Amino acid sequence: MYKDQNDENFLARWINGELSKEELEDFKNHPDYKTYQKIKVATDALDTRAFDEEAALRSIKSKKEKPVKKLNPIVKWYPYVAVAASLAILFALLFFNPTETFETSYGEKLTVTLPDGSEMILNATSKASFNADNWNENRVVDLSGEAYFKVKKGSKFTVETENGQVWVLGTQFTVQSLNDFFEVSCFEGKVRVEDAKHKRILTQGMAYRTINTNSEDWTFEEEEPTWIDNTTSLRSVPFTFVIKKLEQQYGITVNTTAVNINKTYTGTFPNTDKEVALNTVFSTLGVAYSISEDGKTVILEK
Amino acid sequence: MSDKNSTCNESNFDHFFKGHAKLLRNFIYYKFGDLDQAEDIVQDAFIKLWNNCKEVPLEKAKSYIYTVANNFAISLTRHQKVKFKYQNYIVSNTSDATNESSPDFVIEEKEFEEKLKKAIAALPDRQREVFLLSRIDKKTYKEIAELSDVSVKAIEKLMHKALSTLRDKIGDI
Repeated sequence: MYKDQNDENFLARWINGELSKEELEDFKNHPDYKTYQKIKVATDALDTRAFDEEAALRSIKSKKEKPVKKLNPIVKWYPYVAVAASLAILFALLFFNPTETFETSYGEKLTVTLPDGSEMILNATSKASFNADNWNENRVVDLSGEAYFKVKKGSKFTVETENGQVWVLGTQFTVQSLNDFFEVSCFEGKVRVEDAKHKRILTQGMAYRTINTNSEDWTFEEEEPTWIDNTTSLRSVPFTFVIKKLEQQYGITVNTTAVNINKTYTGTFPNTDKEVALNTVFSTLGVAYSISEDGKTVILEK
Repeated sequence: MSDKNSTCNESNFDHFFKGHAKLLRNFIYYKFGDLDQAEDIVQDAFIKLWNNCKEVPLEKAKSYIYTVANNFAISLTRHQKVKFKYQNYIVSNTSDATNESSPDFVIEEKEFEEKLKKAIAALPDRQREVFLLSRIDKKTYKEIAELSDVSVKAIEKLMHKALSTLRDKIGDI
C-alpha cells in the first residue's frame, strides 16, 4: 500500500503496472497520485541523445587496425639521436676539442658511446661531460642528473657529481645526483661510492643513497634501470622528488602551493603517458589535481 | 579455429556491437554523468575487445566490455566527482503529439520537463541509474539487477525511492 513503511517497492510496482486493482484504486484517491502520474508520463517522453551506431562502428574499425595505440615519440627518434651523438664525438675529436658535453631535455633519453666503447645512457634533464682527450688514461665523467653506465673493462672509471664520486672497474650501474639527492645502484660488477660523509663498496643488486644528510642502503633484483624501458620506478622518495621526476619526464610545472605533503612515495609511473602517470602518482598520494588548458601546468588541490 | 563463437569474426563483432553499444553507453553515462565521455569510453572498450578478440569468446564479451568500460570510466573520473549533466543529453522524444495542444499548455509541459530533468540530475547516483535504465532503456528490474550484480528486491527499493525522491523535489502541482 502507498505510504506503508513496509511496502518498500510499491512505487516500483506501480510504474511497472504490477499493482492489483484494489491497490491502484486506492492509490488514485491519494493526493500525491497526480504528481506521480505526471512524472511517469513526462519521463516516458524522455530519451538520451540519439546514438549513431554506424558512425561509431566505422570509427572503431578505422582504429582497430593498429595493434599498438601509442608509440612513444622519444623512442621513435632515439636511434637518430644516437647517431647524432656519435657523429658529434668524431667531429669534436677532429678539432681537438677536449671536453664533450651531452645534455637531455624533458622526457628525453640519450645514449652516448664513450671513446673506449663504454656506454652512457642519460635520463631526462641530465647533463654529462667528459674529456675525450687522454680518455684511456683518465676516464672521468662529470654528471648532474641521472645516467646508466655500462663500462668496458679497462683503467679507472670515475663519475663525479656535486654530491659524491663513484669509481668503477668493468661494471654496470646508475648514478643519480639531483639537488641533495644522490643515489647509486650497481647492476653488475663492483663500484666504490664516496660522498661527503660515507664510503661504500657496492656489488650487483646493491644500492646506496643519501637524501639531505640521511643515508640508506638496500638491495634490488632488476637487471637494468626501469627507465631504460620508459618506466620511472621510485622507492620511498620524498614528495618533492616525485614531483621533480614528473616535471623532468613531461616538461610540465607542478604547482604544489595548495598542498602540504610530507609523505614519501613508492611506486612506478610510465614515462610515455602523461595522463596515466599523473593519475597513478596522485591517486596513490591521495591528491586531486587539474591540468591547465595548454597541458603545461598541473595544479594540485586539497 | 572455429569462427562461430569468435569475436574476431567481423559479422559477429558488428552484431555484438549493435546489440550492446547503446545500452553500455547509457549505463556508463548514468553512472558517471557525461554522455560524450561515455561514447568515447564505449569506443575504447570495443577497440580493446577487438584487439583481444582471440582471448574473449562471444559468450564472455558482454561482461568483458562492461568491465573494461567501467574501469576506463573510473580511471578517468577518479579525481573529480562529476555532476550529472543532462543539457542536450536527455532530450524529449515527443515532437508532434504536443503540436495540437494550446501554446500555454506546451510551455507548461516544457517547464515541467525542465523541472523533472533537474530533479533527475539531483537524484542520488544509484537511484538515478536504476530509474533511467528502467524508464529510458526499458530494462526490467531483473535485467538491471544483473547489470549491477545485486538482487531484484534491491533494485525495486531503489526505484521506489527514486520516484518518491522525485516527487519530493518536484512538489505538488
